[in-house]
Amino acid sequence: MQVKVVIGTVAFMLTMMILGFAALREPARMEAFSRAAVGRSIETGAEIFANNCATCHGVNGEAKECYDTAGNQIGCKGLPLNSKGLVCGDRPARLEAMNWVGSKEAFIKQTVAAGRVGTAMPTWSERFGGPMRDDQIDNVVAFVLNWESEELCSQPDITFDWPESVDDFLAEFPEGDAANGEALYLSYGCIGCHGDVTQEGSNAVGPWLGEIAEVGATREEGKSAAQYVYESILDPNAFIAPDCPTGPCTSPSAMPGNFAERMAANPQDMADLLTFLLGSGE
Amino acid sequence: MTTFVDQVREMGLKQAVLVKADEIVERVTAGMNISDIRAALRGDEPRRPNPRLRPHADSFWLHIRPSFYHTEVTHIYPTFRLGWLSTFMFVWETITGIILMIFYTPSPLVAYSNMWNILSNVPLGQLMRNMHRLGAEVMVVAVALHMLRTFITGSYKKPRQFTWATGMILLVLTLLLSFSGYLLPWDQLSYWALTVFISGAEAAPSPLPGIIPAEVINKNVLLILQGAPTLGAGGLLRWYLFHVLLMPLLLGIFFFVHYYKVVLHGLSLPPGREEIGEDTAKRVPKNERTYFIPDILTSELMWTALVTLFLTAGSLWFWDAPLEHHADPIVTPLHVVAPWYLSWSQGWLKLADKTLVVGFIPLLMVAFIVMPYFEVGKSRRYADRRLGLSVAMLFIAFMLVSNWMGTPEFRVQSSPEREVAQEIAPQEGPSVLLGVPFDELLPGTYEPGQVIADRPHLTRALEKFDEALALHSCTLTGNPEFEECRVTGEGKWGNSFTDSAMPDPVAKLIIEDVQPNLRKLVLHFEAVDPNNPDKMLVDLDWVKYRHADSNYEEECRFVNKNC
Repeated sequence: MQVKVVIGTVAFMLTMMILGFAALREPARMEAFSRAAVGRSIETGAEIFANNCATCHGVNGEAKECYDTAGNQIGCKGLPLNSKGLVCGDRPARLEAMNWVGSKEAFIKQTVAAGRVGTAMPTWSERFGGPMRDDQIDNVVAFVLNWESEELCSQPDITFDWPESVDDFLAEFPEGDAANGEALYLSYGCIGCHGDVTQEGSNAVGPWLGEIAEVGATREEGKSAAQYVYESILDPNAFIAPDCPTGPCTSPSAMPGNFAERMAANPQDMADLLTFLLGSGE
Repeated sequence: MTTFVDQVREMGLKQAVLVKADEIVERVTAGMNISDIRAALRGDEPRRPNPRLRPHADSFWLHIRPSFYHTEVTHIYPTFRLGWLSTFMFVWETITGIILMIFYTPSPLVAYSNMWNILSNVPLGQLMRNMHRLGAEVMVVAVALHMLRTFITGSYKKPRQFTWATGMILLVLTLLLSFSGYLLPWDQLSYWALTVFISGAEAAPSPLPGIIPAEVINKNVLLILQGAPTLGAGGLLRWYLFHVLLMPLLLGIFFFVHYYKVVLHGLSLPPGREEIGEDTAKRVPKNERTYFIPDILTSELMWTALVTLFLTAGSLWFWDAPLEHHADPIVTPLHVVAPWYLSWSQGWLKLADKTLVVGFIPLLMVAFIVMPYFEVGKSRRYADRRLGLSVAMLFIAFMLVSNWMGTPEFRVQSSPEREVAQEIAPQEGPSVLLGVPFDELLPGTYEPGQVIADRPHLTRALEKFDEALALHSCTLTGNPEFEECRVTGEGKWGNSFTDSAMPDPVAKLIIEDVQPNLRKLVLHFEAVDPNNPDKMLVDLDWVKYRHADSNYEEECRFVNKNC
């Protein structure tokens, strides 16, 4: 019996020592698991993004490279998400632009969950009739926010002072490349809403631009087609077109209002697009 | 009646305190004072009247324990302490389970994040979860072995038939208790294991064919088991209540009936110790008595300490409860398997019709319960029970083979490229590839079997990749890395391992950056159709994402993880 008492006592003491050892390393372990929980959420979010979001927001979330299910490149209908204006800092520019008072997490979550009316962004949360559960929405949000990196956020803000008149702009950038304009029409995602310019009726959301060279001049009195298109790209709300495929176009405009910033690094893109849409004669 | 103050006046403070302490100890132990306890621990003979018998009469906890055992049944053989171990595991599961309950809400909205909260935000949470899960499996083993031992020593024979019957019910309850806890983490593992179980139960045949149609039974079984046409919030709440309320309650009730019968009839002696047909367990001669206090109690306390040590160390270093992705009703993972202790039923389902199997299991249970009332051979001696023991051994062999047949290795193979991918980067759980530290997963293209200097984990993963590929590939062009193809069907080739192998495949691992701390691991497979060189027979990109902080390395250090 004495042997049993000794064995039992030793085993009990060893258990206590093991528990003590486990308790000592708990803070570090819990810290590692907290990070692992986020990491795994991001991994799942990446999978969901690749399968659902990349079609419109692009494979790298830059809204540059979008593919349909057959693997053909298509226009990106979505906004860039891998962007300083959305994920950097506590108050990224996009929140200010949307008058959003909450956090950027809440902004992205709300946008993913409920969609954005009048745009191609559908409702994703099953709470609002979409296909995704809450945990899936959370994973996508974690993935999008994970684009915040020192490299992205330390990029300088590039601004460009767009002249009011298109003529002044074209004086600065006289040479427009229609072929590049066509590529940009795809990569900026214009084609996603305005459709293929060679096919009337291919537009899904915004007005068809196949005849904008003629139609554009009739929109606003005293404005040339070039001036009208130039203005509409920089400020979609300047004039709301009457003829969208689903009825009158919505006001405020469903078109993203950030092309002035997106083209700032490369204003030549504007000249190329104008040449593509209006022809070189303008 | 003297008060404490009077006693202090009478005999001084020190003496009064000692007397008081003695009195309190005697009350708490329901009969033994300090010197009695010391005498018991020293191994002295008890004084007369024996104070060590009083706790059995007066105390709640000891009144159901016998005050002495036959010395013959106190050795490891014949009981192997398995009944005690089963009881201990039930207490263990109750304690760890109650602690886990504090951090758990049975709702699909939060159950899974509760798991991560237990792992990341509850001190010793991972240990507690591992203890509960490991304990559940040890309990299944203990109860099953206890039943096996009872059969082998013939202890189910008259007068202990009813004890055996309640024991069978306890075994079934233990399996159900263990399995009902399976759903609670609400991950892919639990969701799909339960889905398989419920779809089996749904196929149950009608107990009264012709009176109640099978459809009515099936529909209602389904509704009872998941609370709704699909497994969701209602089902989770139901299984939670089965797990924490109904099953423990039933198990508790049957445990007390079982133990009451054990004490009533006494522990059966080793078969060779009594005359054939006699049961002398309750007639213990004075010189063969081992008293509960102190010998059995000491022994049980020692085993408690030892098993606690074993389970604590096991849960901390060797055995980790799995946690897969969040449950997803529309994504069925490849190779859904039942837990090992129910794998035999999955094996049977591959052999016979579902309804037949599901109808057979309750019949088998009933047959086991009533077995002692029909198997009335008088002798418990091994030599006289050759037939019974042989049948038991055959049954065990049958269950082991059935269990093996329940695994995906038996008759469930996906396409060869998916089998290879599943081998090194499965859809769920950590793996040899995910367990590679993030620093070694540098962007680039890697060949199976490639050796990379200073990156041992990646090299090992690529080696496993090569092995898995070789197992599922063959060659028509004399490639020395693969076996020669044999034709197994129209446009199908095989090797010595499988009937479905890829002919001369090209496979590689491509690692790309997605975000600064997130990489995409692509297992790329392609094989040209030998009958039609313009067509691809195999063309697969198997994608996994790996975050720098995901910590699969931590999971991989446990021996029960396949890394």
